[in-house]
Amino acid sequence: MVQLRPRASRVPASATVDEGQPASEEEEEAGHGLLLGQPSSGAAAEPLEEDDEEGGDELDDEAPEELTFASAQAEAREEERRVRESVRRDKTLLKEKRKRREELFIEQKKRKLLPDNILEKLTTAGQTNIKKSSGKLKEANLQKENEDCDKGSDSKKAKVQKVQSVGQNKSYLALRLKDQDLRDSRQQAAKAFIQNSLYGPGTNRTTVNKFLSLENKRLPVKKAAAQFLNNAWGTQKKQNAKRFKRRWMVRKMKTSKK
Amino acid sequence: ASTSGAEHASARARGAAVERDEPPAIGIRCVAYNNQSNRLAVSRTDGTVEIYNLSANYFQEKFFPGHESRATEALCWAKGQRLFSAGLNGEIIEYDLQALNIKYAVDAFGGPIWSMAVSPCGSQLLVGCEDGSVKLFQITPDKIQFERNFDRQKSRILSLSWHPSGTHIAAGSIDYISVFAVKSGSAVHKMLVDRQYMGVSKRKCIIWGVAFLSDGTIISVDSAGKVQFWDSATGTLVKNHLIANADVQSIAVSDQEDSFVVGTAEGTVFHFQLVSVTSNSSEKQWVRTKPFQHHTHDVRAVAHSPTALISGGTDTHLVIRPLMEKVEVKNYDAALRKITFPHRRLISCSKKRHLLLFQFAHHLELWRLGSTVATGKNGDTLPLSKDADHLLHLKTKGPENIICSCISPCGSWIAYSTTSRFFLYRLNYEHDNISLQRVSKMPAFLRSALQILFSEDSTKLFVASNQGSLHTIRLLEGSFKHLHTFQPQSGTVESMCLLAVSPDGNWLAASGTSAGVHVYNIKHLKLHCTVPAYNFPVTALAIAPNTNNLVIAHSDQQVFEYSIPDKQYTEWSRTIQKQGFHYLWLQRDTPITHISFHPKRPMHILLHDAYMFCIIDKSLPLPNDKTLLYNPLPPTNESDVIRRRTAHAFKISKIYKPLLFMDLLDERTLVAVERPLDDIIAQLPPPIKKKKFGT
Repeated sequence: MVQLRPRASRVPASATVDEGQPASEEEEEAGHGLLLGQPSSGAAAEPLEEDDEEGGDELDDEAPEELTFASAQAEAREEERRVRESVRRDKTLLKEKRKRREELFIEQKKRKLLPDNILEKLTTAGQTNIKKSSGKLKEANLQKENEDCDKGSDSKKAKVQKVQSVGQNKSYLALRLKDQDLRDSRQQAAKAFIQNSLYGPGTNRTTVNKFLSLENKRLPVKKAAAQFLNNAWGTQKKQNAKRFKRRWMVRKMKTSKK
Repeated sequence: ASTSGAEHASARARGAAVERDEPPAIGIRCVAYNNQSNRLAVSRTDGTVEIYNLSANYFQEKFFPGHESRATEALCWAKGQRLFSAGLNGEIIEYDLQALNIKYAVDAFGGPIWSMAVSPCGSQLLVGCEDGSVKLFQITPDKIQFERNFDRQKSRILSLSWHPSGTHIAAGSIDYISVFAVKSGSAVHKMLVDRQYMGVSKRKCIIWGVAFLSDGTIISVDSAGKVQFWDSATGTLVKNHLIANADVQSIAVSDQEDSFVVGTAEGTVFHFQLVSVTSNSSEKQWVRTKPFQHHTHDVRAVAHSPTALISGGTDTHLVIRPLMEKVEVKNYDAALRKITFPHRRLISCSKKRHLLLFQFAHHLELWRLGSTVATGKNGDTLPLSKDADHLLHLKTKGPENIICSCISPCGSWIAYSTTSRFFLYRLNYEHDNISLQRVSKMPAFLRSALQILFSEDSTKLFVASNQGSLHTIRLLEGSFKHLHTFQPQSGTVESMCLLAVSPDGNWLAASGTSAGVHVYNIKHLKLHCTVPAYNFPVTALAIAPNTNNLVIAHSDQQVFEYSIPDKQYTEWSRTIQKQGFHYLWLQRDTPITHISFHPKRPMHILLHDAYMFCIIDKSLPLPNDKTLLYNPLPPTNESDVIRRRTAHAFKISKIYKPLLFMDLLDERTLVAVERPLDDIIAQLPPPIKKKKFGT
């Protein structure tokens, strides 16, 4: 399609240096314009012809200046390239930022870890009870590894491996706080599923009041709804009225005493 | 004449009028029936598990308090009376029915657990998890042990059922049912379920329940309202029944596999039976026989005992419907039972200061009763000159439910217990203000108390722990001193321990074991005597002032009076046992939860259950089966002679709506706490819409 532009932008090539470039590019693009698969080649052909006919009709004030398709295409491609460049630059910047953050986290993780000897003790103590519940432990370990990959590491929380049962001292049970968060979030998701499937959209639910009032509606002598009064209506007004009454009573008592 | 309706200005403290954070009515989530012991385990949405003894007049004999994180989704019995539950916190919990605590909790590592089933041989446990895995556990004598995983499925496993031979299982998920072979753990068939009966629907079809029969038929119930019969050998649909417009949420099959029951979200329970096609053919088919509408909200759990259909759901009622064709003797036992109200006392009273302490799952409320100066005739409702006052709202710390609570008669002490802690508070009253002070460093052996009681003079505290021991604590100004612990006596734990103390402070009675009711001498700190064991659990216990007669009410509505000083049943008790109670008295279906006495009238015993309260006048003759039990007040123009002739010992009043608590405050005042059913219903979650013509 022809891209019509107001006259102001179409300054003659000699006036500014910038405009020199698009002009040269235009010639380049015009050269291999046919090689590119233009979707609207039919429509594009027309403006080219028109342009050739009118040629340098720059002195006409009434009709807006018509750009050649090639020049407009060139400008569009220029825009595209600029955008692509900037996106690439942003991506690399982001990548670097992420890499730096990873490194920082790894550093912090290393710092936060308990000294190696204690960790060794915990792992060996856990292994003594591995025979019976080997399957479960493997799962637990797998889970923990997956969590590590997914979440990076929460540097604020201390990392202690879960102890199945320590032989010598049974006075404590070490737990990973991250497990608890995961468990909570899963439980929330499960509760949300039930809530949605029983009370969510698409279920045919009604309020308790309407349910109980159904019978009243069908009686030979129709009665009111089961919860006809809305006791929550105007609570603020009622409170204000109560306060005013109390104050008025006090004032009345004072004046009557006098 | 002190008839029940006269001479009291009842100050009604209506518990329903109070603002609360949590719903006061907790719905039922799962039920599990145990055939061997005829007991029913019921788990509620707050994690509480209750055990009902169906042979003891459907009495709730034990319970395990709930926990905030425990959202129980499945409950089942295993071999040897072992009870397991699993829920959304991902843990499998075993309950200890003797020690009345939780034995252990095992994490299944599959995320939230949605379903659980015990194998027919009773030694293996299967759980269906959120991540689509089905896990097999071995039940060892003291624990459970993970064995292996079955093939993992795409969506969460919401229902499980074993084939009676133990070789295959059916697992219901979302939009499909899988059949697994137990030995290999691999899925043999995957049957896709239509989302809607002969139609298209955007909502996913959730298979809420599956049942596997021995002939290879799988019955599934789903959220589209269908009951479908599948052939597990070929993995194809055999028959389709559309029974409701809403979800069908639960299914239970009888042991003989000739009948099953399903519960729907509309509150209807349907009974299906296997009947012959024609009267003398051997071919049988499943026919929907009876609908029952006893619930208003979703029926999320059903069970099938040999003689009855049991259902429970969001509307908190537990309904037991005996099946006429299975019941041998057609007497009152074959009537419908609807259990709505708690079988134990949740309200305690301080008579001196006219205070009531209400126990909820996570908080306590202290109310001061209103008073009136007006007078009137029998049956009038008098206006209050001073309204009931909400004095205290005490929230418990932590996720555990409160097990029991009590306020001392003088009103200065409040005690309550959860599974892991015991709390004792001292209250100070200055003019109209009340201040609370916690007594710190309570000993660890007091936690998990089943019953707490203060002595009449408020100097001693008695605590019955779940291990069977009884602790006596002396209360001093702001602190306490442990006096003595009565060790658990022999005999198995039958029900939750109930305590009663004599007004003169000498005797303490404790029930709950199979040995009978033990009576301890507090002054000499030793066991005084034991009331002979009775085969029904005790529902209420109290010791009369002056005479020191111990009055015991059992779940079969028998009431005994035992003289503690004489160590034998009283004359009156023997007389009424010989004559027997009135048949209408024995047919009452709610247990007596509280007994009290009049300080100036030793011949009177006051007791109440959920629907009536009664004053037994021991000086009047006992009614026999021919006399009218529920005697209305005789009209005043009748002569005295007739009035005396029709009067009998049991003066019953049913004027109050469901009673949670009733006691004598002083000589002329009774307090009654009602819980109208409408108030319970008003707080329930939304029910399914019912379209009725003309509305």
